[in-house]
Amino acid sequence: MRTVKKPVTESAPIISISGLTKSFANTDYYVLENVNLSIQRGEFFILLGPSGCGKSTLLNIVSGFIEKSAGEMSVDEEEVHKPGRNRGVVFQQADAALFPWLTVKENVEFGLKMKKVPKNTREQASAHYINVVGLQGHEGKFPRELSGGMKQRVQLARVLANDPDILLMDEPFGALDAMTRRTMQTELVRIWKETNKTVIFVTHDIQEALLLGQKVGVMSVGPSSNIETIYDISLPYPRSFSDKEFSLLYHKVQSHFD
Amino acid sequence: MGGVRNKVIDRKEAFQKSKQPTGFLKKLIHSGVVAWLLVFLIWSIASSVSDPQFLPSPLAVWKGAIDLSQDGSLSLYISVSFLRVISGWILGNLAAIPIGLLIGRISLLRALFDPVINFVRFIPPLAFITLFMLWFGIGEQSKIFLIMYATFFIVTINTITGVQALEEDKLRSARSMGASEWQIMLHVIIPGSLPYIFTGARLAMGSSFMAIIGAEMVAANEGIGYMIWNSRLYFKTDWIFVGLVILGLMGFTMDRVFNLFGKAALKRYNVVVK
Repeated sequence: MRTVKKPVTESAPIISISGLTKSFANTDYYVLENVNLSIQRGEFFILLGPSGCGKSTLLNIVSGFIEKSAGEMSVDEEEVHKPGRNRGVVFQQADAALFPWLTVKENVEFGLKMKKVPKNTREQASAHYINVVGLQGHEGKFPRELSGGMKQRVQLARVLANDPDILLMDEPFGALDAMTRRTMQTELVRIWKETNKTVIFVTHDIQEALLLGQKVGVMSVGPSSNIETIYDISLPYPRSFSDKEFSLLYHKVQSHFD
Repeated sequence: MGGVRNKVIDRKEAFQKSKQPTGFLKKLIHSGVVAWLLVFLIWSIASSVSDPQFLPSPLAVWKGAIDLSQDGSLSLYISVSFLRVISGWILGNLAAIPIGLLIGRISLLRALFDPVINFVRFIPPLAFITLFMLWFGIGEQSKIFLIMYATFFIVTINTITGVQALEEDKLRSARSMGASEWQIMLHVIIPGSLPYIFTGARLAMGSSFMAIIGAEMVAANEGIGYMIWNSRLYFKTDWIFVGLVILGLMGFTMDRVFNLFGKAALKRYNVVVK
């Protein structure tokens, strides 16, 4: 456990952000000011902060949904301004993000269909990723027939089927009940390990952050927020709340918000 | 163990409760038969104490219907009115849906046309009858244009609402999965706004009937509206009633068929709310 202002980079980072600033509609109100961050390939990175600190805004900028006002952001050493297949996004509200008129299988195949991938390749991919997220047997169901946790699994499979390098997740388990959330957290760690994706995961839940992340970037309270501290969490997976080091870390991170 | 058994018994009881007498009565009420019997009863009583030229009895109306169908005029009028409504309605939808999709999608178009749409839509189709006759002649064209007009704004406005009601996350997720703008329109916006489009089309059916009857009363030699208007010349009140019943039946049937189509063909889009 060590505290670093800017992580030391061994190889070229997959995402690198420097001096990033975001103000809305040319006002003096800065949501984000001078954010610096670099994320290594395969890393599980958590953006942690209270509501309104701009962590979703930062994620939306990385997703390419909104434009930054100033600074630099590159993915794979290329400046990005638009959404792209290399960044898969898992939204908080599955109901808003999934297509209710498509079955689980069709939802998962959506990206491949847009890419005009042949049908049998598409079917192989969807079968594989439906398996990865543990939804086998539900392929023909519509989202409205699924529980909240299952819908998030569909979202995850849908994103994975496009084989992005990066998963961008905006409080994906925030709307789930505590028990389902716990299961999904365990599942996500398993899937992350299986697929070797880079993950940026936004949350305001310190426990969730410490359960999942290899690095936890704590954002300062907005406006003009940036990443205050980055914690390296070296605890082995699966992690447990009852672990002594876990609670030490918890209190340390908590102190940022007191 | 005890808990499990209790649960089973509770379920059984609940099942039996739901099957108790209310079932049949409920079905009867929901089928509409009771309501119709009531209507016929009140109608019969009222007509028995009044002049048949003022309020003909159900039986007299039935006889009138037989009179009218003997020379085939009733079925001709029905098919003429129906064809006008259906062709104008389909053409109106074909014009309104793409325009609604574009206006809903492109905020510049919305800003441009919104004031106009909200002005013109308050002018009822009937107000246009004379103008449309002047512009498109007294033939079928003016009537079909009138139905198109009656359909257009309702469907356009519903389509715009449907497009705008779509969650931003759906568009964003499609975009991040590599969909082009055209693919987003085809695979996200159109299927996503179908419930609104469908409702708009259904509502437009009602206003189409209003418009066509008006048009046929003012300027036509055939059709149900013409029949109703003409019956007044012969004091054939029963024929007027035949016309009214036929209108109700036509609308009811069209709506039902359209709904069944929605339930069957567009099931996955959830266009019909039960």
